[in-house]
Amino acid sequence: MTKLYKRFSAAMLAAVLAFSMTACKADHTKDKEKEPVETENTDSKNEAKDTKSADPFGAYENEITVTVGRQTLQNPKMPEGDTYEDNAYTRWLKDRLNIKITDEFEANGDDYNRQVSLALSAGEIPDMMKVVSQDELIELYENDLIADLTDAYHTYASDYLKEVYASYGDRALNNVTFDGKIIALPGTNADSGPSEVWIRSDWMEQLGITVDEDNNNCITIEELEMVAREFMDKNPGKAENVVGIALIPWLTSGDSDGTFSMNSIAYAMGAFPKTWMKVDGKAVYGSTTQETKNAMVKVAEWFKTGLLDPQLGTRTWDDISALLANGQTGITFGTWHIPDWLLNNVRAMDSKAAFEAYVIEDANGKVNCKHNDATAGYIVVRKGYEYPEAAVKIANLFYDELVNSKALGEKYPEVMKYQADGVDGSVRPFNIEVNSYTSLLDDYSDIKGGVSGEIAIEDARTTESKNVISNIKNYLADPANAEIVDWSKYHSRMKGIALIQSLTESDTFVWLTPIFPQTTQTMETNWANLGKLEEEAFIKMATGAIEVEAGFDQFVKEWYSQGGEQIISEIEEQLK
Amino acid sequence: MKKEKKSRRRYSETMYHLMMLPGMFFLILFSYVPMVGILMAFQDFVPAKGLWGSKFVGLKHFIYMFQLPDIAKIVRNTVTIALGKIIIGTFMAIAFSILLNEIRHKFFKKSVQTIVYLPHFLSWVVLASVVVNMFNLDGSVNQILSAVGMEKINFLGSNKTFQPLIIGTDVWKEFGYNSIVYLAAITSIDPGLHEAAAIDGTSWWKRVWHVTLPGMLPIILLMAAMSLTSILSAGFDQIYNLYSPIVYESGDVLDTYVYRIGLVGRQYSFGSAVGLCRSFVGMILLLTANRLTKKLTDRKIF
Repeated sequence: MTKLYKRFSAAMLAAVLAFSMTACKADHTKDKEKEPVETENTDSKNEAKDTKSADPFGAYENEITVTVGRQTLQNPKMPEGDTYEDNAYTRWLKDRLNIKITDEFEANGDDYNRQVSLALSAGEIPDMMKVVSQDELIELYENDLIADLTDAYHTYASDYLKEVYASYGDRALNNVTFDGKIIALPGTNADSGPSEVWIRSDWMEQLGITVDEDNNNCITIEELEMVAREFMDKNPGKAENVVGIALIPWLTSGDSDGTFSMNSIAYAMGAFPKTWMKVDGKAVYGSTTQETKNAMVKVAEWFKTGLLDPQLGTRTWDDISALLANGQTGITFGTWHIPDWLLNNVRAMDSKAAFEAYVIEDANGKVNCKHNDATAGYIVVRKGYEYPEAAVKIANLFYDELVNSKALGEKYPEVMKYQADGVDGSVRPFNIEVNSYTSLLDDYSDIKGGVSGEIAIEDARTTESKNVISNIKNYLADPANAEIVDWSKYHSRMKGIALIQSLTESDTFVWLTPIFPQTTQTMETNWANLGKLEEEAFIKMATGAIEVEAGFDQFVKEWYSQGGEQIISEIEEQLK
Repeated sequence: MKKEKKSRRRYSETMYHLMMLPGMFFLILFSYVPMVGILMAFQDFVPAKGLWGSKFVGLKHFIYMFQLPDIAKIVRNTVTIALGKIIIGTFMAIAFSILLNEIRHKFFKKSVQTIVYLPHFLSWVVLASVVVNMFNLDGSVNQILSAVGMEKINFLGSNKTFQPLIIGTDVWKEFGYNSIVYLAAITSIDPGLHEAAAIDGTSWWKRVWHVTLPGMLPIILLMAAMSLTSILSAGFDQIYNLYSPIVYESGDVLDTYVYRIGLVGRQYSFGSAVGLCRSFVGMILLLTANRLTKKLTDRKIF
C-alpha cells in the first residue's frame, strides 16, 4: 500500500514540475513574439521623428504609442465608462499631443511595487513608468535599463516646469542626477510643516484660560501643560474618564507633522527622532541623541504626573480619535489638515466645538521643523525608447498647462469637469505630483485673498482653492450652524496653514535639512529589529517601566551593537 | 473460489484508493508543493528574482536568528503561553465534560453546551475588542475592582498581567469546544462499571477518580500529545489583536515576531527560516509524544 502512495506521489510531483516548466516556457515564447512587433513599430516611428520640433507642447504628426506602468487607486472617482487607459486626461493627451497611452500593467499601492520589481528583474520595462523609491531608480540605472533624459529635459521642459523644480533649489533634480545625467522626472514632495498643537478653543474660552501672550500662536511646553491640567481638572466636555494628552504607542514619527505623536515636544527640545542627520560630517540617527533623551524625560514626567493618558501604549489610533470625539480630551497633535479628516468627527459630535492651532516654541522662541526629501516618485523612460522627450512633454501638459491654462475649459470641458469632481490625480498618465515648493502657501494666499474679497474667486489658481473659498465663506457667514465640511476647511486653512504662513513670514522656523540615505545592506536585515528595539524602549521609558536615565543609554548602546554602528558606517560611505 | 475472492477484494480496495485521489491531490498541492518554499530560508530571497534566481546563502538566516538578542525571550514567551493554554485548557475541558455529564436535565445540558461552544466560532478580531473593552482601565473589570476598593490594573499594558490574560481568555474561548471529545470519551465508558462501583458503595468523587478518568486516559494522552506540536505557536490572531509595544516583553511570540520582521519588514528569507525551525521542533515533539503514548497506553497516533 505504501508503495502505491509513493508511486502516486512521485507521479504527482512529476506532473506538477512539468506543469510549472511549461508555464516558464510559455513566458519565454511570449517575450520572443513581442520583439519583432516592437521593431516594426519603431521603423514606422522613425519617419515621424524627423518632423518633431523643440516646442514643449508640440504635437506629434503621427500618433505615437506609449506603454506605461500605472499605479492605480482603489476608487479614483472616475465617471462611469472611463478607465485608467481611456479617460478625459488620456483623450486630452491624444488630442493635444497625438500621444496614445496603453497600459502595460496596472496595480494598486504595494502590488505596483511588486510589478515594478518583476519588470526590473526581467529586464523588460514599459516605455514609461513610475518607480516609487530611489532604491529602485538606482537599480534601474545601474542595470542600464532607463534612458538619459538630460537633453530631453533641457530642450523640452516648459519654463514653468523648470521653475517648479527650481523652487526646491537643486534638491529635486539632484535626486535624479547620476554621473551628471538626469535619469528620471521626479515627483516633488513639498514640506509637510510642523506638528501643530490643536486645542479646543471653545473650552479655553469657557474656562477663561489664556495662553500665548504675544499672540503669535507659539506656546511653551509649560503653557501646554497648564491647559491640559485645567482641562483635566474642570472637565469642560463633561465626559467620563477624562484624559489630558493622548499619544500613539509608537510615540514619535519620521514625518515632521506626525499626527498623535510627541514630535512637537521633541522638536521644541531640539530632538529629531527617526531622522537621519549629518552632524559635524558624521551621520547621526535622531532617536539616539541627547536631545531625544531629554524629550523622553519630559514625556515620562507627564506620564508620572498623570498629564498623559494612563493607558498610553495600549491606546490605538482609533481610540485616540474617539477620545477627541467624545470630549474626553481637548488637546491633540497633528498636521495642518487634520480638521479635514479627523477633527471633523469632533464637530460632528459637538456643534460648539472649535479649535485653535498652536506650535510649541523652543527656549529661544523659535520653532524647529525639518525638510522633507524633495522628491517622491519618479518617472523613468525605457532605454532605447524612440521618443524620450514625450515624457517631458506629457509632464509639461499635466503639470503646467493643466494647472495654468485658463482657457482649457472651453475646448476640453470634460478635463475641467474631472478637476471639479475631484477625480483622483492617479488617473493622469503619470501618478506623481509636481508642485512648487511654495504651493501650499501660494494656495493659501489665493484663499485668503478670496475670502477677504481682495481677489475674485475665479482668479484663484486652482479649482480646489475655489471650492475652499466658498466653503470658508459659508462658514464665516454663520459659524454656529455651518456644515461640517465648511467648518473643516475653515480650520485647516485659516488656522492650520495660516499658522505656517505667519511663522514663515516672521521667520520663526528653524529648518533642519536631514539626509535621506538609500537602504543599506545592513538596514535590509537589521532595520526591522532596530525599529522594534526603539519602539519597545521608548514606550517603556514613557510609561515608567524603565527609568529614562539608565534606560535610554542602554537603548543607545544596544542600538549601536545590534547593527546601528554598521549602518552608520554604510551611510557615511554613501555620503562620500 | 479462493482466487475469485482475492481479486474481488483487490477491486474493492482499488475503489477506495481512487476515492482518496482528490484528497491526495489537494494534500500534495497545498501541503507538499509549498514546501519548495523552504528553499527561501537558505537564500537571500528577492521576490522579483523568484525561488530559482535568488542567491543561496546557506545558514546565514539561522545564524542571525540565534544571535538575535530577543530570541530567547520570544521562545520563552511562546512556550509559556502555549503550555499554559494546553495545560489549563485541557484541565478545564476535562472538568467541564465530567460535570456536564452528570447533568440529567436534557434541555439544560444542551443549552449549557451550546453556550460554551459559542465563543469558539467567533474570530479573535471580534473578541479582541470585547476583551479590550472589558479589561482596559475604564472597563467593567476595573470598575468592579475599584468598586470593591482595589487598585485599577492596566491588564493589557502590564507585563505581569498580559500572559495570564492571554491564557485565560483563550481557555475561556476554547474549553467548551475542546470538551466535545472528552464528552464522547465519557459516553464510551461501559455504564456497567459505574453501576458496579455504585453497588460497591463508592462516592461520586471516587467513581470519577477510579472509573471515569482511567476510561478517558487514552483520549487525554492522545489530545495532549497532539497539542504538543503547537507548543511553538501561541495563537497569532489572538495576541496580534491584543498586544502593543508595551507588552512585547511578555507577549511577543514567534508568530508575531516573524510577522513583524518577516512580512512587514519584508524579510521573507528570515521569516521562513524561523518558520522552518518551528516546524522542526514541532516534528520532534510530535515524534517523541508518539513514542511516549505508545509506551504509556499502548496506542499510537500514527
